[in-house]
Amino acid sequence: MAGSIAGQEFPTTPTTAEGGHFERRSVLRALGIGGGAALAASALAACSSSRTSNSTGTIGDFPKTSGWKFAFVNHVTTNSFFAPTQSGMKDAAALLGLPAPTWTGSENGVVSEMVNAFQTAIAAKVDGIAIPLTDSNAFIAPTKQALEAGIPVIAYNANASGNYGLTYVGQDLYQSGYQMGLKIASEVASGDVLVGISQPGSLNVQPRLDGIKAALKAQAPSVTVHTVDTGAAQSGELSAMESAYQGLKSAKGIYAVDAGSTAAIAQMITKYGISGQVHAGGFDLLEDTITGVKSGALDFTIDQSAYLQGFLPVLYMFMYRMTGSLVFPPATDTGLTFVTSSNVSPYASANSWIEGGTSRAVVPMPSSIGLPAPSTVQS
Amino acid sequence: MAQQTPQLTRREPETTAARRGIGRALLRRRELSILLVTIAAFAYFSAGSHGADFNTTNNYHIIMQYFGPWAMIAAGEALLLICGEIDLSAGFTYTFVPFVLMSFYNQGLDVPLSLVLAILVSMGIGLVNGLIRTVFNLSSFITTLGMGFFLEGMTYIQSNAEPVNPPITGTLGNVLGGWRWSELVWALLIVALMQVALSYTKYGVYAQAAGGNPLSAAESGIKVNRVKIATFVLTSLFAGLAGIVDQVRVGSFDPTSGGSPMMFMAVSAAVIGGTALLGGSGTVVGALFGAVLLAIIQNGFTLTGVNAYAFDVVIGVAVVAAMLLNVYISSLRRKYLR
Repeated sequence: MAGSIAGQEFPTTPTTAEGGHFERRSVLRALGIGGGAALAASALAACSSSRTSNSTGTIGDFPKTSGWKFAFVNHVTTNSFFAPTQSGMKDAAALLGLPAPTWTGSENGVVSEMVNAFQTAIAAKVDGIAIPLTDSNAFIAPTKQALEAGIPVIAYNANASGNYGLTYVGQDLYQSGYQMGLKIASEVASGDVLVGISQPGSLNVQPRLDGIKAALKAQAPSVTVHTVDTGAAQSGELSAMESAYQGLKSAKGIYAVDAGSTAAIAQMITKYGISGQVHAGGFDLLEDTITGVKSGALDFTIDQSAYLQGFLPVLYMFMYRMTGSLVFPPATDTGLTFVTSSNVSPYASANSWIEGGTSRAVVPMPSSIGLPAPSTVQS
Repeated sequence: MAQQTPQLTRREPETTAARRGIGRALLRRRELSILLVTIAAFAYFSAGSHGADFNTTNNYHIIMQYFGPWAMIAAGEALLLICGEIDLSAGFTYTFVPFVLMSFYNQGLDVPLSLVLAILVSMGIGLVNGLIRTVFNLSSFITTLGMGFFLEGMTYIQSNAEPVNPPITGTLGNVLGGWRWSELVWALLIVALMQVALSYTKYGVYAQAAGGNPLSAAESGIKVNRVKIATFVLTSLFAGLAGIVDQVRVGSFDPTSGGSPMMFMAVSAAVIGGTALLGGSGTVVGALFGAVLLAIIQNGFTLTGVNAYAFDVVIGVAVVAAMLLNVYISSLRRKYLR
C-alpha cells in the first residue's frame, strides 16, 4: 500500500473520493474534533476504497490488521428493534474488512444467559465485546475479566452506573425523556396527559418517564401526568391505553415512553377518529407508529438510531485496537431525532435497511431539511 | 447392586469374567447412553475449530454456569416426573425466592435469618402446589401453571421490576455461589442426594410406584399423596436454592432471570437424561448428564459464533440428533443385555 509509512511522517494531502485514499491522520483529527458522527462520516467516505483493498483486514490507507472478530451480546436477540443494529455492525465490519461480528445473548432478557454469553465470548478470545448494560451489577465482573484479557468492552443501547465499559453508544434515556417533556410542554400548557409505560421501574424505560416529569415540572407545572402501566405484551398495550383513555377523556395529550405503547396510541387514535383532537407522541419506529406520524395521529416519535448502535461500536473497537488504545472511544448519544410529519416520509416510504427494512438502496435526500431541536448546551 | 460410576468403563478389565461382570452391570445403567452422547458432544467441540478455547478451565467453568441451576432444578423435576407429576412453576420459584430474601432483609432482619425464611417460603410454594394437586385433585400442569403466573407477578411487585445487588457476602456468600465452583458443588450434592434417595430408600421405591401405577401403589398401602407432596416441596426447595446460588454468582437478583426458559431446560434435562415423561421410571444422575449435554451444546455453539437467529435452529437439530443417538445406543444396550 503506497505511502503508508511516509504518510505518518508528513502532512497529508486532502483526500478525494476518486483517489479512494483514507488517511489515518484525517481520521484521528476527525475523532478529536467531531467525535463519533464525524468519524462515521469519514469512514463512510472510505467506502469506495474498501472495494479496491487487496487483502482482508486492510482498508484505505490503514496498516494491515488481522481480521478482528467482535462479539455483540444482546438482551433480546430476536427482537425486531435490533435488526438495524445487526445491519449496522455487519456494515461497519464489511467496511473495515473484518468478519461479521457474532450476535448472541438472551432472547428474553435473562441476565444470567447474557453473562454466560459474555464469558463464552471471552473464552472464544474475541477481539472486542459490545453489550447493553441492562443490569447494574451483573456485568461488572465479566467486564473486568475481559479488560484484563485485553478485550475492549463497549456498552450500547443501555448503560448503568458503576460499570467499566470503555464508553456508551446509545440513547441518553433521561435526556430523551426530558426533551420529550419540553416538546409536550410546548404543545399542552395545562390539564391532564396520559403517559404509557410498558414496565414501570424498568431500567430501559423508567428514566424517560422521570425525564418527562422533570421537564414538565420546570416548563408546564400545571400539567398533570397520569401514568398508565401497559404491560410488556404488545396486544395488551392497546387495551391498556384504551381503558385509560375511557377513564380520562378530557386528556389533552396521550404519550408513551416505549415502542409498543407508542404504536398502541397510534392505533387507538386512528380507531377512535380523534386524530388532531389530542396531542400524542412517543418512541421508536414500529410500523403503526410511523403510519401514525404520517397520518397525523401522532405529533412525533423519537428515533434513537438502532443502526448506529451497531455500526459505531464496531468502528470504535477497530480504532481502539488499531491504535493500541490511543483512540479512546467517545461516548455517543445516538438518539434524539424527532420524527414528525415534516421528516417522516423517508421513514415511511424508503423501507431502508437502516431502519429495519429490506431495501439497501440509497435513500434520496429530502429537498429541504427541517429544523432539528434547538441546541441546549454551550460547549 | 448396580455399579454407580460408569466412568470405570475406560479402564481395561483384566479378565473376560471381570469384563462381563462390569460390562453387564454398566449396560444395565440407563445413564450409560446419555453419558456416551455427552462425551460425543464434548469430543465434537474439542475437535472443532475452537477446540483449544473449548478445553480451558475457564470454559469448563462457563459450562458449569450453564448447567448448574438446570441440574439443581432437574434433580427435583426428575423425581416429580417419576411420580407422574410436573412443576411448571419451578423457574419462577427460582426468580421469586431471592426477592423473598430481599423483602425480609429490607425489613431489617439479618442475612442468615432472611435466607432461612426465604428457603422456608420456597418449600411453602411446593407445599401449596402439592396440596392443591392432591387435596383438590387438580392436575399438576394447571396447578403449577397458575403458581408460575402468580410467582412471576409477585416477583415484579416485590422487586418493583428492578434488579438489586445481593446482600449475601463473606463466607456465606462464597458458600452460596460466590466461590467460583460452589454452584457445581451444590448441583452435585443435590443430584447425589436425590439419586441415593431414588435408588436406596423407601421413598424412591414409593415414588416410582406412585408414578408407575398409582392405583396399585395406593392399594398396597403406599401413601401416594404424601410422597407427591414431599417431592413438590423438594423441587421448589431446589428451585429456590438454585435461584439464590445462581444469582449470587451472577452478582444480581434480577426479576427477568429464570422463568419458563429455566423450567424448560430443567425438564428437558430430566427427560433427555432418561426419565419417562409419563412417570414410573427415571434417573437423577441421567438428568445431570442431560443438563451437561444441553450446556455443552449451548456453550459450544456460542463459542463457535453461531448467530442468535440461527442458534435455536442449531440447538433444535443438535438436541434431536443427540437424542436419536441416545435411542440408538439404548437399543444396542438392550439387545446386548438380552
